[in-house]
Amino acid sequence: MKLYLSIYILFFSISLSFNVKAQNQIVADLSQENVEISTDFLGAKILLFGAYDGRKGDDIIVVVTGPKGLVTIQKKEKVLGVWVNTKKVNYINAPKYLSISSNRDIDKILNQKTQKISEIGLNNLNIRIQPGKQIRSEKEWREALTRNMLKSKLWSLNENSISLNKNSLFRSYLSLPSNVTIGKFEVKILHYRNSKLISKETNTINVSKSGISAEIYNIAQNYSTLYGIFAVLLAVFIGWGTNLVFRKV
Amino acid sequence: MYYHNQTNNDENLMYIYLPIAEQPIHSLVIVGVGSIIGFIMGLVGVGGGFLLTPIMMFLGIPPPVAVASVANQLVAPSVSGVLSHWKKGNVDFKMGTVLLLGGVIGSSIGVILFNFLDKIGQLDLVIKSSYVVFLSLIGSLMFTESLRLILRKRKGKISRGKLHQHNWLHGLPFKTRFRKSKLYISVLLPILIGVIVGVLAAIMGIGGGFIIVPAMIYLLGMPTSLVVGTSLFQIIFVAANTTILQASQNQTVDIILATLLLIGSVAGVQIGAKFTNILKGEHLRLILSTIIILVSLKILTELITIPSDLFSIVIGR
Repeated sequence: MKLYLSIYILFFSISLSFNVKAQNQIVADLSQENVEISTDFLGAKILLFGAYDGRKGDDIIVVVTGPKGLVTIQKKEKVLGVWVNTKKVNYINAPKYLSISSNRDIDKILNQKTQKISEIGLNNLNIRIQPGKQIRSEKEWREALTRNMLKSKLWSLNENSISLNKNSLFRSYLSLPSNVTIGKFEVKILHYRNSKLISKETNTINVSKSGISAEIYNIAQNYSTLYGIFAVLLAVFIGWGTNLVFRKV
Repeated sequence: MYYHNQTNNDENLMYIYLPIAEQPIHSLVIVGVGSIIGFIMGLVGVGGGFLLTPIMMFLGIPPPVAVASVANQLVAPSVSGVLSHWKKGNVDFKMGTVLLLGGVIGSSIGVILFNFLDKIGQLDLVIKSSYVVFLSLIGSLMFTESLRLILRKRKGKISRGKLHQHNWLHGLPFKTRFRKSKLYISVLLPILIGVIVGVLAAIMGIGGGFIIVPAMIYLLGMPTSLVVGTSLFQIIFVAANTTILQASQNQTVDIILATLLLIGSVAGVQIGAKFTNILKGEHLRLILSTIIILVSLKILTELITIPSDLFSIVIGR
């Protein structure tokens, strides 16, 4: 399997480099486009590889963005000697997974302004707060979001993690942690020359639940009461069963 | 060479992905924790949930999933325990039924309250402070009581008093005779106890044994021999009701987590029950009450020390 894949990658890369040379277009592929969360899922590591028509000093940045949705930040304050959640802010379109990789420090590739405009960098994403809510120190909350998402491994910044080869091939590993959410993950591969984007390519990773794990999840969601009754009956049955077993011992 | 996938060595095979908690966990750790907790349950008759739920949260299971799945697992050792006690004639089914009526009402209220607290972001605080209040209260009560008993026995004085103390609570209306427990008390009292325990059981992810057992002894005045079997009988229904409601309202019951826990706990209960004749009850209660007090102090410390990060995140489903 490994051997076949290596050969495949080799030929793929060679054929790619011809194409790339011809069209000045970056091309890339993933070792895995579908990630299935089954009962033995411990996270996934995906190889991203491809070819580009590069010169010395060119840069590659890869941004992987997971499904976006509600992420709530809570702030604790001391009330009567106890630390209590007193304030909260809802971010309505925060990516539940974000990975930014590059071949060298992003600050060396792009200036701050360009990073902001092209939404590259953990703090440059346009993440909106629930409409109609006024908050005073937005920056503090936004930093708390980034800090906590990094801590949960759902967000990551991997500068210097992309290896470039002879200005034509690149590869990078993407890690999906075990607590990753299901959905479509957009993989954007950006090729920069002198801070200018000269070519880009987009891929998708599909993360879904499969096997018994998916079945259980679906039943729990769609037939929730029956699921609850079944869970109770299973426990009663096992409890009764052990009693029979231990009586004979 | 280039190809990289998660390596499946022996260690990784022991991990299992929990479909509802949405994370992998080491299966032997969970079975092990279950069996230790089951052993304590079998030995003392109480102590399943109130140790199990904090341990699950400590292992990183989200509190709503921990509470609901522990409720589910509690059904099994309770069924198994009741069957053993029934054989010895140690279950007062009439008292148990009255208690469980209150318990089912209480746990239904509890699940609604649980939902509400989760929505306003105060669930964690309420769970933790309930633990501190009830654990320290029950812990110190149990501690002094068992210590007094040990000291009294050492002096060689065994005082035989009345069957139980009567108080004004027993005099409420709807007096009923509970033949097995040799009691003639108001039916409102056990119902009320059932409701309170049911609410706490649903919120704290416990069977409520550590609250209901002292309540049966000190408030109702039931004979100690009947207390454990009868409380287990009512816990089956409170835990079952909590499980079904949590599953239908919040989809937080993780059947894999619950099953792993209960495989350990049902075996532990049986082994623990075999040791009850060897170890002395009051010594056990002294040890257990010490653990209870320590757990409550630990949670209290968490509540009053400054958190490493004042901000925390909740990722929406």
